[in-house]
Amino acid sequence: MEKKLILKNLLEKDHDIKLRIIAGSGGLNKEVKVGDINRPGLTLAGFYDFFASERMQIFGLGEYAYMMNLSREEKMEKYGKFFSFNVLCCVFTHNEMPDDLFIEYANRGNTPVFITESQTTRFTTSLLHILDEYFAPCVTLHATLVDVFGIGVLLFGKSGVGKSETALELIERGHRLVADDMVTIRKIGETLLSGSSSPMLQHHMEIRGLGIINVREIFGIRSVRNEKWIDIVVLLEEWDSKKEYDRLGFEERNYTILDVEIPYIIIPVRPGRNIPVLIETASLNQRLKKHGIFSAIEFDKRIQNWVQAEDVIIK
Amino acid sequence: MNEREVVVKSNAGVHARPAMMLVREAMKFPCSVKLIKGEVEADCKSIMSVLGLAIITGTTLKIRAEGEGEDEVVANIVKLIESDFKAN
Repeated sequence: MEKKLILKNLLEKDHDIKLRIIAGSGGLNKEVKVGDINRPGLTLAGFYDFFASERMQIFGLGEYAYMMNLSREEKMEKYGKFFSFNVLCCVFTHNEMPDDLFIEYANRGNTPVFITESQTTRFTTSLLHILDEYFAPCVTLHATLVDVFGIGVLLFGKSGVGKSETALELIERGHRLVADDMVTIRKIGETLLSGSSSPMLQHHMEIRGLGIINVREIFGIRSVRNEKWIDIVVLLEEWDSKKEYDRLGFEERNYTILDVEIPYIIIPVRPGRNIPVLIETASLNQRLKKHGIFSAIEFDKRIQNWVQAEDVIIK
Repeated sequence: MNEREVVVKSNAGVHARPAMMLVREAMKFPCSVKLIKGEVEADCKSIMSVLGLAIITGTTLKIRAEGEGEDEVVANIVKLIESDFKAN
């Protein structure tokens, strides 16, 4: 579900950044369309090639000092040119107040000017974090996401294969539900995927025969969480006797979501197989791998060492 | 593959009961059935998935089916939505 970011949203209190508007409030309804920012130092100095006016312009101490050193005539020329581009908005850090001429130009063009008391780098980091939230590539998948021992397990499978029942059993064993049947996945940075539920469905799941249940109410607050990194993808599929399933676990398969590769295992489902235990074990195995211990390969090494040792004895 | 577009006209959009009717219809067929709203795809065989689409009056939905019974299931679902969930 796409959310639009309007400049005035940035003034809301629930964000990590604290901004005050000092000019150009007529432009507060402008939409932020790109998730990048610009430091306009070069632009002010007169280099207008590649000027990204559609981005938020961040004025740090350097830009501010430069502006303060300009004569009134120079300011008129530079500000006039600067605001002749359709600048999205300007932010001054360190609580620095721009001069009256700058404010006048901003008001004329309805270009919002904000100030913040934060340092430039810290402010930029927080701002980019907010922008990332809005502009991260996003996809909604038919799957169930559970946090098992701190590992985000994304369960795929045809409807009816038992995703929700598996999740329910996992919750019963003390793990946490993130989203059932519909997972919104956002790509954070280049390698991380974050999964969450749509706000409307949050903490609910549908179990055939029971209907819709509220997991948080039934199992308590410890049984749910709102967001989780995805660490492993598990496909549940009906046991196909003609198919070869992985018996050793040497090969690491990956599943690609939003161009990010996530370790992937297929678990064949058959009556009598305890799927939740398999998923718990897969999660723990994944944690071991994160710690550099690869069970299958370690085991293979052991066998090889043993075989070599036996060779020596026989010789 | 069969795909058709339909606009939801029923007053209350697709709340729990209409969602159940859609799922029940889709479950009658072995093929995969998807409801698509904008860029979001939902599995028409899952109640939570259908409800998660937040379908309101005026929403344009695409119904896409693939596999055995695809033509029939798309026709039935379109009929169900166009009749404002009064079928049967």
